[in-house]
Amino acid sequence: MRSLARTPFGAILRTEVLLNSKRVAPYAMLTLFTGNAVLWWGWGAAGHYGWATNSEYYIIRNLTGFSFMTLPLFTAVIMGDPVIRDFRLGVSPLILSKPVGRAAYLLGKFFGNFFVLFCCQLAFALTLLLLQGLSTSRMVVLPMRVVPYFKHFLVIVVVSHLFLAAVYFTVGTLTRSPKIVYALAVFFYPLYIIFQVILKAFPPRWRVLPDPLLMNWTGPITKGSQSGEFLNHLAFSYDSDVTTNRALTLLMAAACLTVLYFRFTRAEGPGAQAPATLLGLSAGGEAVYGAGAGAGQRRHSVSAPPRHAETRSTPLQERAAAPTAMAIPKVKAADEGIGTYLKQLVAALGVEFRLLRAERGLILLAPLVVVFSTLELAFSVTPDVSYSAAYASGTAKTSLLFLFGLTIFYTGEAMHRDRETRIEPVLWSVPAPNFVLLLSKFFATLLMSVSLIALIGLTAVVLQSVKGEMPVEISAYLAVYWWILIPSVALAAGVSVALNVLLRDKYLTYMVSFATVGGLYYLYSLGYYHWLYNPVLYRLWTYADLTGAGGPQSPILTHRVYWLAITCLALALAHLCFPRRLEKGFEGEGPLGSNGWSFLMAVISLAVAVITGLLIALPGR
Amino acid sequence: MLRIRGLKKTYANHIQALKGIDLEVPSGMFGLLGPNGAGKTTLMKILATLLEPGGGTAELNGVDLVVQKGKARRMLGYLPQEFGLYPTLTAEQTLDYFIKLKGITDARERQALLGALLERVNLSSARKQRVGGFSGGMRQRLGIAQALIGRPELIIVDEPTAGLDPEERVRFHNLLSETAGESAAVILSTHIVSDVSDLCGRMAVIRQGEIVATCAPREAVQQLAGSVWEAAVPRESVPAIKSRHQIVSAQIFGGQARLRVMAEGGPPGAEFTPATPSLEDYYFGLVSQAAEGRGR
Repeated sequence: MRSLARTPFGAILRTEVLLNSKRVAPYAMLTLFTGNAVLWWGWGAAGHYGWATNSEYYIIRNLTGFSFMTLPLFTAVIMGDPVIRDFRLGVSPLILSKPVGRAAYLLGKFFGNFFVLFCCQLAFALTLLLLQGLSTSRMVVLPMRVVPYFKHFLVIVVVSHLFLAAVYFTVGTLTRSPKIVYALAVFFYPLYIIFQVILKAFPPRWRVLPDPLLMNWTGPITKGSQSGEFLNHLAFSYDSDVTTNRALTLLMAAACLTVLYFRFTRAEGPGAQAPATLLGLSAGGEAVYGAGAGAGQRRHSVSAPPRHAETRSTPLQERAAAPTAMAIPKVKAADEGIGTYLKQLVAALGVEFRLLRAERGLILLAPLVVVFSTLELAFSVTPDVSYSAAYASGTAKTSLLFLFGLTIFYTGEAMHRDRETRIEPVLWSVPAPNFVLLLSKFFATLLMSVSLIALIGLTAVVLQSVKGEMPVEISAYLAVYWWILIPSVALAAGVSVALNVLLRDKYLTYMVSFATVGGLYYLYSLGYYHWLYNPVLYRLWTYADLTGAGGPQSPILTHRVYWLAITCLALALAHLCFPRRLEKGFEGEGPLGSNGWSFLMAVISLAVAVITGLLIALPGR
Repeated sequence: MLRIRGLKKTYANHIQALKGIDLEVPSGMFGLLGPNGAGKTTLMKILATLLEPGGGTAELNGVDLVVQKGKARRMLGYLPQEFGLYPTLTAEQTLDYFIKLKGITDARERQALLGALLERVNLSSARKQRVGGFSGGMRQRLGIAQALIGRPELIIVDEPTAGLDPEERVRFHNLLSETAGESAAVILSTHIVSDVSDLCGRMAVIRQGEIVATCAPREAVQQLAGSVWEAAVPRESVPAIKSRHQIVSAQIFGGQARLRVMAEGGPPGAEFTPATPSLEDYYFGLVSQAAEGRGR
């Protein structure tokens, strides 16, 4: 009997694990989940309520929270597109033309990716398990235990996500659209919350049975018996409700995969075939070069069957001499000048922004950023100056890190897209100056970030109105976002453009950028947050400073000019080092040439940065 | 007229891709033939202002392509050997973007040009479709359309027919011929000899970074009159013939080798009969000479 590893199923499974080992996502998830475990171990509710960090109650609580809060989205990242990837890369015909059964192919893909997801999830449980060996004076720790971590991890996390994984995998494979999978992942939370609200009307037992994440199961806990001491020694065993629930969950996962098995076809998706079918290349071409074919005839001929024999019988020279259907009109290119460059910049900005909007990750990330940035507003907000000022300040502080991350990430995507899509040689041979190509990416990312800021502001305004905490002062939002958020994201985009040009490698740039941001936040947390190296004004502003009520000494304007100059310096450097050459050195058209202008810009920006930096560093500021 | 003088390029890994190219390219179709790795793409990239040469000049109607890159790009149309397009944009959006970048800002002119180009490459009915769903041929045609924007004075097409079916290839050639007829110089870089013999008024053969021949394809073929012979011989006798004569091509068929041999002043053997020379004979002759030179 053949071992499982030598079957097509085993080969596909192993290849999926191998492919995932070369992706960034699993490593990012591993890091994130480990960090999450450390966070909840050291700074979670256990210390506050006197719960033991390794009590069964706290283990279950952590695993349930982990399962709900972070995993639905990450499950979609891993499980949504394994089959789509094959079709997109064009490798599916090679695999599916081999003697591989549908079941082996689908199950190999499914379990290969689920194994990777399982390993990432396991990092959370293993970290908690290992952290039992460490403790602080505030922590209660019971004697070392191992089994509860694995038992509850399997029952609460793995089974739940096997179901979610099956859903995402089925939807992704059948629709061949990752966007639908990500939309489903984003809508998981509202759908699940609605489901929970509906379940509240049912008796406790019926709340447990249909719940795929097992959030409604409380075990032996009853009202009035929740002292820390009691909970620490509480033993949890799974009752028949939980067993039935888990069995139902597994059955639903199996049902999903069964539906997939019967509905899956090996043929290319309609999207890939439609153009070729619609446009019979031969017939279409014939119409274009055919003598005297009018537009109407041409359209007709597109759907007509090709006439290969007739076409082939015509000598090449005769066909070449045939009059063409439509002459290319003579057009005049506008003279070089600032007007033409601006029009080119607007055109390039439009395209870059459209391409950013089409990024599938943004569909997932944008709603998340809005939700996380406005989450704390759902609870009580204490007004300092006014409710609007408190709402605006609160959202500015919470959203800054997300906006920084998104801006850095999407600037990198925009900067490397041309090379990755292999459009670069075509694009670089057009007579558009380098600054058009660079600034279009800078402004497109900035526009995306500003749109997100507007969305966050709008959500905050709606929340403020719904909670009746009036009056809504739009000027307060504008002041906070204008002075705090927009200059910060502009800096992030500008510096990121420069780093991408200088380092040439997208992932190296991400690493350097995120390490710099992390390092700066670490410095700020240690109390080093001077104006000179604090572009986000961390702990350096109050609402009064922004409106001038902070007094004439408020250095925010100088600070903003300082960082704007650094942004311009970064962009000028990016332009100087951009690998596409316009002229040799400082030669070229105009008094300074293209590089001369960017050199001048760099010098001016540097001078402004030095002057404003000195103003900021003056004693007493 | 494009004048190239002493164009050199050495890559960072010390590979000398171009060893001082001298070439004159008149208006009309000009074929650049050469085997893989001969330096064709390097030359094309330098002419398309994408690569900095190590030395030399390339002047197109008074504009130095090496120094005045901005001006040069206004006169160029370039279709690289390998290129991509933004998959989420439609054909119309893609072409409109390139038209704007080419500096054609008048909205009416832009629309007329866009319509004509799409019509010309038979993509009018696919204008609203995303490029990501295009077949290889359709993508190539869109690439051709962008290279024709603004009636360029120099069109550079690098291995343009790779991936096209025979019908598409013929039509692509027709389009190029018509464009070249409109006073532009079209450099067709390829290793498909028949493309050059069918289309080009002038040609050059590049080998190991050097131009080894420049002529009209017809002249090249005439040079070989009376010196090309063919025969079907046993496979075992090929090495012996090879040691005495220059074999320009050998095909194994039915256990025998069909040879085309170049020999001045009479047939190389009793079994050989005179053959009508072709451009392939000329090209293979040059390339095999190089191979023999390397062997020695």
